[in-house]
Formats: sequence, C-alpha cells, structure tokens
Amino acid sequence: MEFSDSELERYSRHLLLREVGRAGQERLRAARVLVAGAGGLGSPAALYLAASGVGTIGIADGDAVELSNLQRQILFSSADLARPKAQVARERLQALNPQVAVVAHPLELRAANVAEVLAGYDLVVDGTDRLGSRYLINDACVILGKPLVSAAIHRFEGQAMTYVPGRGPCYRCLFPDAAMASVASCAEAGVLGVLPGVLGAIQATEAIKLILGQGEPLIGRLLTYDALEMRFQEFPVTRRTDCPVCGDAPTISVPSDPAGTAEEGPASLRRLAPRELAALLDSAARGGAAIRLVDVREPAEFAAGHLPGATSVPLAEIGRRDWSSADQQLTVFLCRSGARSVRAGAIAAQRGLHGPAHLEGGLLAWAASVDPDFRVT
Amino acid sequence: MGKGVSVRVASPLRSYTGGAPTVTACGATVAELLADLERRFPGMRFRMIDEQDGIRPHIRLYAGTHEVRRLDEGMEPETTLHIICALSGG
Repeated sequence: MEFSDSELERYSRHLLLREVGRAGQERLRAARVLVAGAGGLGSPAALYLAASGVGTIGIADGDAVELSNLQRQILFSSADLARPKAQVARERLQALNPQVAVVAHPLELRAANVAEVLAGYDLVVDGTDRLGSRYLINDACVILGKPLVSAAIHRFEGQAMTYVPGRGPCYRCLFPDAAMASVASCAEAGVLGVLPGVLGAIQATEAIKLILGQGEPLIGRLLTYDALEMRFQEFPVTRRTDCPVCGDAPTISVPSDPAGTAEEGPASLRRLAPRELAALLDSAARGGAAIRLVDVREPAEFAAGHLPGATSVPLAEIGRRDWSSADQQLTVFLCRSGARSVRAGAIAAQRGLHGPAHLEGGLLAWAASVDPDFRVT
Repeated sequence: MGKGVSVRVASPLRSYTGGAPTVTACGATVAELLADLERRFPGMRFRMIDEQDGIRPHIRLYAGTHEVRRLDEGMEPETTLHIICALSGG
C-alpha cells in the first residue's frame, strides 16, 4: 500500500534512514504491538510506538487514572483523573497520530483472557506492575511464539530485556520463581518520575528494532540502569534447559494465573477482608481472642496514621526476626495495599510463625469499607 | 579472609545497607562474602539465599559478568559481586 503525502512527511526522518526507509516504514505500519500496562513504562513506550507509525497498538490496562500517576505516566493529564487508562491512552495516541489504529483493552490480563488478547498482536511490550502478570505474559508469549520486550523499575533502578521464543532465554530463565520476591511496587517504594521514561523508551526501541529486523536486540542480555549513578550495565542470561515453559521438556503449556507468588502469598496465609478484621478486633475488645497487628509499612507511613494497637515492623525487618517464639495469638500483617503484608506473612511463616494473616487490600481497603476517616499516605 | 570486594546491591535490598548502592565485603568465596554481608547487615542473606544454600529464584548473582551458580565459587579481589533482584514496578 502506498503512503499518503502526509505519511511521507510525518515519517520523513525515518525514510531518510537506510535502516528504516520506505520498506521499514511499511513494516512498522503493518505491525501490531500490544502494550500491557499503561503506566510509567507503557506511557512512553506507547507514545513512541504511535509516533513511529506502528500501525496497530493495543493498550491493556484495567485501572483508572489517579493523581499520583501523573508524576511519571505521561499519557495522562490532570483532566483524565478517574477515567479508564486504556480509553484515555487510546484518545491520546490517536491525537498524536490519527494514521495508526489504537485498540483499548480496559482489563487486567489474566489466564482467562491473555491468549485471546495476544492473538491480535505480533509483539508484546510488558510494562505491568505485578510479578504475577510478568510470568503470565511471559508464558503466553512463549506458548504463542510472540516476542516480548520487558522492563521493570524500582526507585532509581531499572531492568530491560527482550525475549524472542526460540532465539534465547525467557523471563522464567532469568527469574524462575518470584514466590519469595519481596519487591515493593512504585506505590510502596517510590520511583523517580523520569526513570520509566528511560526504560519505556528502551522498550519502544527494542520493539521497533524487532519489527524492522535491524540491530542487535537485548536477547540473552539483561540491561540494568541506575539513574542515580547514571550507569548502564549488561549481564548475560542463558536459556535454562530445565525452564518449565521454554526448556527442553516444558511443563507449562497453558498460561495460568499466578499462585504462590509474592502477591498471592503461601496457601497457609489467612486473608482477612477489612470487615472480617473489624469484627475480630471488636471481639478482642470485648474479651475475645487477642490479635496482634503488625504494620509492615515504612516508619514514615506508620507515623502518618495507623490502626490503634498496631506495632510497626517494616517489611525489611520481618526477615530479621524469629517468629517461631510468638505465642498462639493471631498475627495480622498490615500495609497500604495488601502487597507487602502478603510478603511479610510469607517471610514470617518461613521463620516459624504459625498461621499468619494479612489484611486483604491493605489499609486502603480498610479506609474504603470500614473507616472512611482513616488516612492512608 | 581475602581483601575487600565491591558488592553492588540491588535496589530492593538497599534497605539493609542503609541505602548504600555499593558496599565492601570480605571473603575468598561467594559464601564467605555473603556471610560477611550478613554479619554487617543482618537479615540480608536470607532475602537472597534459601535454607539449602541455594540462590533464591528471584535473585541472580554475578561476579563481574560471570553468573554465580554455587556459593563455593571463588571471588577474585578485583571483581565486583553484583546482586540482581527481580523488579516488579511498571
């Protein structure tokens, strides 16, 4: 198909590059890329893909825009608060480049829908913010034979790697399991706003290179970036022959929702809904079984507001304590959103705590369904 | 004990090192280095190494650019030990 005059002008700087040219631009126009997660990474990645003329871009994200997103998620503006990210992203990308098609998938990728969503795309850019999603997307990409460009961030540090089935390792070869990964999300640990800009742009670069068939992709090379020291480093990663999804005798043939990852926690971890915890506390106050509340947020978060009677043991401290000496009192771990508390429960259980519990949805859920006056920072 | 070796600490583990991205540890093998780190930063080793002395599956250790697979591997004094941890933020 011929390029229109406006396309020739829009992509003129690409057309000047021997490595892109008209043939490469046609490849970009024919390409279909799914951006999983319209967050800090997905924002710049999607913007560059649209600007570059990638013909079909899917945006999969089930969240709505929050004010705290705007420090780094450059797809969104102040007028977009509370609107679905996938929809806002579609409008923003269409405004940037009306000559590409943008498909909004306002959902969280799960085992039940991942194959159906990925079926419409040739390549996936993963910028999700949960380890469980990363394994789900990796497994789906390996099984469906689709290249995956992945990145992740934490505070001032980022990682990026490209996985092409049959040409190198997959995410499970890099990190076989994350059940013990005590990795805080951006909401919990903080993140430098510009950090995902760097990593998201690297993801877009990798996606475009793969589409063009140019250059050397980040296959089998883990790229790490430290923003404070302005240092990039590279580490070799080889395919594991015993990898359960891309190894010689794979045992995973269908993507499944994560079980036992850090977000889900061990099976022995009791999950308390906010109202359930409220009822238990009420009962304890009236002479029932006592409950120990352990708030695993950082000291500053704890100081800004906590449940009466809760003790502060930041997540990093949990692994330093011997929990086996604790009495039979029910110990309930608390945090902002319920992610750190799961990890705390898993670590404490490994260190001898009998039957730990955690507050599902964290103190945010507590504020939403039990105590609207409770302030969570 | 050998001379001090530089250890680059993954961002999620820097809460143990008071925020320091790089620390120095002593040891002729990876195991000795990790033991030295544990003495100075209690609890840190448990986040990287399991009860069977295996490297946890969300952690990778590199001596320079060589992937460390066993803790009894030797460490050259001039080599940096890189601790890399799975990150989830997006």
